[in-house]
Amino acid sequence: MNNLSKEIKTLVAKVIKVPEDKIDPNANLFTQLGVDSLLGVEIFAALDKKYGIDVPEDRLRGIGTLNDIIRLVEELTPRPPLLKREGEKRS
Amino acid sequence: MPEGTSEYWRKLLAIDVPPEPDFLKQYRTFHRFFRPLFYAIVSIPLRFYCHEKVYGLESLPEKPPYIIAANHSSAMDYAAVAWALGKRREELYPLVTRYYYDKPWSNFWIKIAANAVKLDTVEDFLPALRVGVKILKLGGAIYVNPEGLRSPAGNLLPFRPGVGVLAVETGVPVVPVYLRNTWKVLPADAILPRPHPVSVSFGKPMDMKTYQEKLKIKPAYEVYKEATEEIRNRVLELAANLPLRR
Repeated sequence: MNNLSKEIKTLVAKVIKVPEDKIDPNANLFTQLGVDSLLGVEIFAALDKKYGIDVPEDRLRGIGTLNDIIRLVEELTPRPPLLKREGEKRS
Repeated sequence: MPEGTSEYWRKLLAIDVPPEPDFLKQYRTFHRFFRPLFYAIVSIPLRFYCHEKVYGLESLPEKPPYIIAANHSSAMDYAAVAWALGKRREELYPLVTRYYYDKPWSNFWIKIAANAVKLDTVEDFLPALRVGVKILKLGGAIYVNPEGLRSPAGNLLPFRPGVGVLAVETGVPVVPVYLRNTWKVLPADAILPRPHPVSVSFGKPMDMKTYQEKLKIKPAYEVYKEATEEIRNRVLELAANLPLRR
């Protein structure tokens, strides 16, 4: 699990008030962890606040697990610029 | 949990977007002739068969917008409330769930009886809430059954929090309503109604300002839940204070 994934897990755990170690990244948040639809929206409100990502509404419906959320955030957050290659540094 | 998530909710619910001025028109069908006729006919069984008694109607806000949050145990619930309101029933827009309008027969009666707003309130709750916001902003009143389902034996089921979202974010007053014994007249499995006294009790409008203040210090989700729970408690109080009838 990379740093971003860990950060998201911490944030989701805080929103849904479930200890981090009890969240299986592949468990369905709604059917297995007792998250209701409003709390689902709160997760995205928290993500919006932390990463400034505006999740399109049709994408909200496809979310079920923590891994789904992580993939979505990775997709929607701007990536850091790639390191320049060795040759480019010298020039 | 981050505080102040109300801003995100407001964006999702399009609270600050002005609604189309003629948005309500689409729900106003059959209201000129067939609806008055329907209630004239329905008033006979309600008066003489169910001996419907109405309490607390004087506390209804003088004009909309407001939200009526009523318990739900029978298909006749809306008609019982609308009949009690008389001509003021025309300001009401009941949010009707797919279960009713998917059936052609009940779909027909719903259109006659009410400015029915047909929504998928369970599967797709955000569009449903947005429609609710638009109606309230255009000066309509909303009728909701926050239990979502009919309670088969008339006991009050848990409330779904959508009513709390609408009330807190729009700030309109909520009128709790308790209907007693409608399930004995027309239970879910019945085709013909059975005679039994019915009571409808309107509670005092609930001010949502305190909850709007709470949005500044608490996550919106918790505030909506609290508001929903208070609305449910007010319906329970109405039930407890309603005089017994046989």
